[in-house]
Amino acid sequence: MPSSLKYFLTRLSGSLVTMLVGTIVVFLVMKAAPGDPALIVLGDYATDETVAAFNRKHGLDAPLMAQYLDWLGGLVRFDFGQSLSVSAGENIGDLLLYRLPNTIFVGVYAILIAVTLSLVLGTLAALNRGTTVDTSATSLAVLGVSMPDFWFGYMLILGLSIGLGWFPSYGFTPPSDSLAGAFYSGFLPALAIAAPMAAVFTRTLRTALIENLDREHVMVAKAMGHSGRFRFLHHVFRNSLIPYITVVGLQIRYLLGGVVIIERIFGINGVGSLMVEAAFARDFFVVQACAVVFLGIVLAVNYVVDLICAMLDPRRVR
Amino acid sequence: MKLKHFLHNRTALAGLTITTLFLLAVFFGPMLSKWSSNQHDFMNALQPPSWAHPFGTDSLGRDVITRVLEGARISLLISVSGVFAAMVFGITAGLYSGFHGGWMDVIVMRVVDLLFAFPAFVLALFLMVALGYGVTNVALAIMLVYLPIFARITRNMTETVRNDAYVQAAQVMGQGTPRILFREILPNISAPILVQATIAVAFGIVIESGLSFIGLGVQPPTPSLGVIMADGQEYFRRSPWVLTLSGLSVTVALLGLNLLGDGIRDLSDPRLKVRE
Repeated sequence: MPSSLKYFLTRLSGSLVTMLVGTIVVFLVMKAAPGDPALIVLGDYATDETVAAFNRKHGLDAPLMAQYLDWLGGLVRFDFGQSLSVSAGENIGDLLLYRLPNTIFVGVYAILIAVTLSLVLGTLAALNRGTTVDTSATSLAVLGVSMPDFWFGYMLILGLSIGLGWFPSYGFTPPSDSLAGAFYSGFLPALAIAAPMAAVFTRTLRTALIENLDREHVMVAKAMGHSGRFRFLHHVFRNSLIPYITVVGLQIRYLLGGVVIIERIFGINGVGSLMVEAAFARDFFVVQACAVVFLGIVLAVNYVVDLICAMLDPRRVR
Repeated sequence: MKLKHFLHNRTALAGLTITTLFLLAVFFGPMLSKWSSNQHDFMNALQPPSWAHPFGTDSLGRDVITRVLEGARISLLISVSGVFAAMVFGITAGLYSGFHGGWMDVIVMRVVDLLFAFPAFVLALFLMVALGYGVTNVALAIMLVYLPIFARITRNMTETVRNDAYVQAAQVMGQGTPRILFREILPNISAPILVQATIAVAFGIVIESGLSFIGLGVQPPTPSLGVIMADGQEYFRRSPWVLTLSGLSVTVALLGLNLLGDGIRDLSDPRLKVRE
């Protein structure tokens, strides 16, 4: 087997094992959580018979192991069972299918904004090391990591929505209805999520670029008469991409965390706001479904990031 | 890391100054204030900032700056205790697995990988549903978010130093494993852990305020920073100062902690310092 294929398969099986263990943990923690799903739905005054009937209907009277395997079997088919209280009786898979595109849209939008901002700021700072440009970019970056994203979201509403009236302060047009509308109504939430990420990306890129600018092979390229632009793109920038992309991948955890609150603030029908609504309604089935979906997204993104890094630096594969 | 070097690093100094001022304000501010954090005054509800009330008043006429200072005390306490617990368990697990390797290392790192695969805030939210809301459980959630980070850093650092001469010397002298781990190795790898700890306390405050902000963390009337911001969000359009100024205070406090972390990192890694 070629070493690259072996590498990809090993990493894939690692992710799948983590995913599997993750589902076990999510399942057990939800089982241990205080509150009986039957009583949450039927109320505290439900009779024993109705509770028993409810448990039979949802398979909650089966042994724990059987319940888990049943749930896991459903997960593979994207069948998460039925919602208990947040959207009672509805198929959770349908809820997720409706909401997942919105979350992914806002997440990708935020990454695009963060990457664009950081490429500009990071490059400017590294090329003008020690000057006012550098200091301003670095200060902006520290400020960016220090702002709670939801608070920054409200500041954007205050300035650009209430103040200037440029953007709506609440509500989101799904990309399936109108792509332009989604870009417009999603701008403030995406920017709020992007700000702290852009800050982290800028710092990473700046450090990586500076490190590579001083490397000997760049000096050799200069001695060989390569132009500044060629040296920067082929020798400095390319080598800085690996730490940069690694950090972009690591930030997915924080991105999705930010999505949860921001979706709620801006009224976006996404998986994050669904999880919060389900948490309030103590809809255990929906909460665990959302947790698993987020886990899946993080693992998938990390896997892709690893593949990209392996392509950029084939030494990793061996 | 000498004090003189520390004071000459602008980032570290700025961070230390802001953090110290923040701590002084949080611990002594409420005592100096004329108001108390839960003192209602309906005649003066939702007053904009003034000399008497620098951050204005909220819908119940409570003085916002007093509440912010008291709330910061609670948020800081939650964050610090969560991060401290994460450090105790994470560092211990990391030291042992990095030093011994083998199956224990594999298990510890698997658990760490798993915790790492959850988005931080989703993990916290999930735990709040499982454990219930409240101060202690928010701290527990922060602990679980940070445990894998401390475990991983400590493990990787331990692995790089475990064959160093001073470790071998301690082994030859017949020192026990716990003593070698905590007295020989830990002091030598403490700088990156310390950097992470300051950043973790900062982000712990964000987690607390985020959870409480959406109503799934600390519950009112306990004033935590998140609870106060959630309050301000309810009447944000009419009187934006409550949320704006309380959030600004959080930002300044986090700025201090982040600068302090950056400063310590610059000082502890001479390679970076040359580049600045």
